[in-house]
Amino acid sequence: MTAPNRLPDRLLPLQAAILEQINAHHIDVPMLPEVAGKVVRLTQDVDSDASELATLIQSDQTLAAHVMRIANSALYSPNSSLVSLQQASARLGMKLISEIALAASINSSLFNTPGYEEHIQYEIRCSLMTGLWAKEIARVSRRNVEAAFITGLLHAIGRPIAVQTALKVAAESNTTLDTAEVLALEDKFQRQIGVQVVEQWEMPRLVVDVVRFFDCYNDAGAARNQTMIAIAAEAFTHHFMSEQGDNNCISREELVSQVVLAELNLYRDEVLELLEKQDLVKSAMEAMTA
Amino acid sequence: MSNNNQYDMLIVGSGPAGQKAALHAAQSGSRVALIEKTRELGGSCVHRGTIPSKTLRENALRVKNMRMNAELANFELPEDVELATLINRLNDVLLAHDTYMRRQLERSSVELIHGRARFISSTEIEVITVAGEKFSLTGECIVIACGSHPHHPDNIAIDHEHLFDSDSVLSMMYLPKSLIVLGGGVIASEYASIFQALGVEVTMIDKYPLPLGFLDSDLTETFVNGFKHMGGTWLGETVVTRAYWNGFDAVIAETEDGRQIKGEKLLCAAGRIANVKELGIENANLKLNDRGLISVDENLQTNILGIYAAGDVIGPPSLASASMEQGRRAACNALDMPPGIMHNIIPTGIYSIPELSSVGLSETQAREQYGRVLVGVARFDEIARGQISGIQNGMLKIVCDPAGKKVLGVMIVGEGATELIHIGQMALLSDARVDLFVESIFNFPTLAEAYRAAALDIVHQRKKL
Ligand SMILES: Cc1cc2nc3c(=O)[nH]c(=O)nc-3n(C[C@H](O)[C@H](O)[C@H](O)COP(=O)(O)OP(=O)(O)OC[C@H]3O[C@@H](n4cnc5c(N)ncnc54)[C@H](O)[C@@H]3O)c2cc1C
Repeated sequence: MTAPNRLPDRLLPLQAAILEQINAHHIDVPMLPEVAGKVVRLTQDVDSDASELATLIQSDQTLAAHVMRIANSALYSPNSSLVSLQQASARLGMKLISEIALAASINSSLFNTPGYEEHIQYEIRCSLMTGLWAKEIARVSRRNVEAAFITGLLHAIGRPIAVQTALKVAAESNTTLDTAEVLALEDKFQRQIGVQVVEQWEMPRLVVDVVRFFDCYNDAGAARNQTMIAIAAEAFTHHFMSEQGDNNCISREELVSQVVLAELNLYRDEVLELLEKQDLVKSAMEAMTA
Repeated sequence: MSNNNQYDMLIVGSGPAGQKAALHAAQSGSRVALIEKTRELGGSCVHRGTIPSKTLRENALRVKNMRMNAELANFELPEDVELATLINRLNDVLLAHDTYMRRQLERSSVELIHGRARFISSTEIEVITVAGEKFSLTGECIVIACGSHPHHPDNIAIDHEHLFDSDSVLSMMYLPKSLIVLGGGVIASEYASIFQALGVEVTMIDKYPLPLGFLDSDLTETFVNGFKHMGGTWLGETVVTRAYWNGFDAVIAETEDGRQIKGEKLLCAAGRIANVKELGIENANLKLNDRGLISVDENLQTNILGIYAAGDVIGPPSLASASMEQGRRAACNALDMPPGIMHNIIPTGIYSIPELSSVGLSETQAREQYGRVLVGVARFDEIARGQISGIQNGMLKIVCDPAGKKVLGVMIVGEGATELIHIGQMALLSDARVDLFVESIFNFPTLAEAYRAAALDIVHQRKKL
């Protein structure tokens, strides 16, 4: 779905209402499912051990099933089929499980966006792919690989909530919005809303800064490189995914000439080498969304 | 950049070697282009080596001192401290450095070119920009100063996420609880002791019995004891056959004798290799020696007339300090300017905790050359300043010729070693007799007094000859 460049005047009152909600911190930020929050915290706690994680996963059926599915996917266990959750968590590792938990919790049911579920689903898939590409880009450019996934995954978390907010505000003022208008409002407010979401979810400072400075990485200070990685990762994602189908993906040439890649000092051949990781990213994606 | 692509000198790499070559050549009136493939100037010295590691070290020392003074302040570092906060001043330091270097090069009219250089012939270089454009430049002479990068052994699965090299180790998000350090060289010793001082449980593994094999064993033993005293584990004579992330909660290093050593993260510091892969040196008829380095003669000229090389790309001592001087000399030789005397008395500074530094011959080397030599030792805990500052495990050693007169070398372990060494260096450069240290009055109380104590030790031994 594409949005028009300029919002029609009739949306001005809606805009004002959304802005007021943002400024008053009245945006309905969904609760990060408890288990996801706990997993993220556990994996960041140097004192925690594997058994605590296993116990936690066992306490959440959906997550447990998800972990088993991924552990049994071709990417992580080409030859065997695992039946023990303990073994599955051992195979995947703390960090990957925290990534799975976070990615799994951010699903379309988290948001109240009637009529836009497919769109939100698409965006969530994009974010996941961005997180996976961010890791590969960080690896090649020797930057923080650990933070790359989570910053990539959450860089656009404001989008679904912006759609949710636009729909809610429109309903409250009895305004009917067409798709283009919803998307225009989403585009306009997603960044501001995104910052509020990651702040409220108590994500690390780096994640908040990447979301905040995504459109102006030069102002991101210490988070500049990490922000550029997320932006580059999003470009890789747009090369492979478009809501309108494959024809609307950015071309290989458009991808390699992205300014941000040059800013990251990645030369053409290095970008092409990175592109060779596409199978790896795709399988990780399939495993995580199976 | 100028339209004219003909230069007096082309320089590849803006590290310490390339920069000094460029400045020196440009200040003598030559038209110089400096080609650098990264956006930043300064090479690995500024961005991935010397300066970042020393910035972390400053904070590690602070943490260590705060812990030592537990009676004054009950200090503990929070468990999940972000590494970035421990190198908090790095961005400011780098920015200041970059601005200063850029200005200095611009003031000297060096043309800075951002792109990757590749030889087309022995006088022509093709530059490819990060945006994919290509152009070529020719130079009367060329200085290769493209440095080195970490070597990755096949059996160590470096992923920059759990297993790091020295380029990526500071990109870790959190200070790990434990760290395995593979290697016993300068970089391994520095990082191992810095992380240990920060409270990380460090296990340092190397195939040799002691780290820093080019130093005398009494110095390295002092270093190892200091490292162990902080809580570190040294595993000498241990060969690692494989290291990998277990996919769960740890990095595993498997040893030849069947042990499995576990750590949260791993740093592999297994030497460095010259950055020549992208340089197309064969197009200039240049060859690599069997260590993968570019060989040069005493004038820093390669086997091809007009092509010089300096810095890490020619191999040891692989120090920023030596690279700068090599760069300057390469430029002088290339432009037929007298370079001045090259003193091969280069000090080595190892910024481990405690510091180590040496200049001239070690005791072992001196014995090999001279047979019997006289050695004077001063321990820092016998010097007033050492006692005041609580520097217990430091020592200074002077090595003299068999007659106990001529200074052949100085080695120091203990805080301040890298500064103190220069007194010894000046003595060596001026061919001084050891008596100079006895005849001089040093400030009291200072660590420099150790020179006097060590010199007196030699004078006493001399009397018994
Ligand atoms: C962790 C660590 C700690 C260190 N600590 C110290 C210390 O305390 N004291 C000390 O004296 N030394 C120290 N060193 C060593 C010091 O950093 C090096 O000896 C020094 O940087 C070498 O300088 P150089 O100019 O030869 O190369 P570099 O500094 O490596 O610079 C080479 C430059 O060439 C560029 N380049 C490479 N290929 C091309 C190409 N094809 N085209 C264009 N540009 C290219 C690179 O991007 C780079 O910028 C340390 C090193 C490390 C890794």
